[in-house]
Amino acid sequence: MSPDRLSTTFSALADPTRRAILARLVSGEVSVTELAEPFAMSLPAVSKHLKVLESAGLIARSREAQWRPCRLEAGPLKDAADWLEHYRRFWEQSFDRLADYLGELQAKEEKDGHEDEH
Amino acid sequence: MDTRTSIDAEERERELVITRIFDAPRHLVFQAWTEPDRATRWWGPQGFVTTYCNMDVRPGGAFRVCMRSPAGAEHWKQGVYREVVEPERLVFTFAWEDAEGKPGHQTLVTVTFAEHGNKTELTLHQAVFESVSRRDEHRAGWASTLERFAEYLAKKQ
Repeated sequence: MSPDRLSTTFSALADPTRRAILARLVSGEVSVTELAEPFAMSLPAVSKHLKVLESAGLIARSREAQWRPCRLEAGPLKDAADWLEHYRRFWEQSFDRLADYLGELQAKEEKDGHEDEH
Repeated sequence: MDTRTSIDAEERERELVITRIFDAPRHLVFQAWTEPDRATRWWGPQGFVTTYCNMDVRPGGAFRVCMRSPAGAEHWKQGVYREVVEPERLVFTFAWEDAEGKPGHQTLVTVTFAEHGNKTELTLHQAVFESVSRRDEHRAGWASTLERFAEYLAKKQ
């Protein structure tokens, strides 16, 4: 995945309202009016957030139904999660190796220390 | 429900935080991160070999490292040190390079080394965005993104 797309995804996620909207959409398609209900926010303000999410490819809006419901598009979210998971594995495996290496270093120091005593 | 708490928890979840206790004194763990001939011994997944390592460990100094996978593929990583506080703290940017050597999405890594007797507790925090302000590490990545986002929207409209 291109870095630009990752950046777009993370930018879109960097807002609590937008994350709450996504969380709401996990349970299925919802109209804009319904989405706006839990937030102390005007419809145009919610629409603005939806536009951001839509241009980031995180949601899609149906063109068929009159009420144009929103639905979640999981692809970019999964890509972002995979990318973070890749980093987690990278560090965890590195740390396993670091622990082994530090063990070696200390064993060597101890051995050298004993040799110095003789 | 306290929505503030749940949002904070969610924000942390989206950034990487790994804590590990190493059975070694703090100065040794810090050296393993900051001396190139030591860093090459462990920095990378199991089975990867470091074939190139250049680290200029001082604020503003860059690093560029190549590791070869067991299958023979080369992976380059690069970044710039933002803070070097021996032996307790390292902050640097981190990005993988693509096939043309262009850095991909840049992250900010903060490593803290805490002394526990003869052991060292290491905490790695990787933010999905680099941020200049680090008053609150857990939130800085998102906060700066929001600021940039607001600027972006203002320009668009």
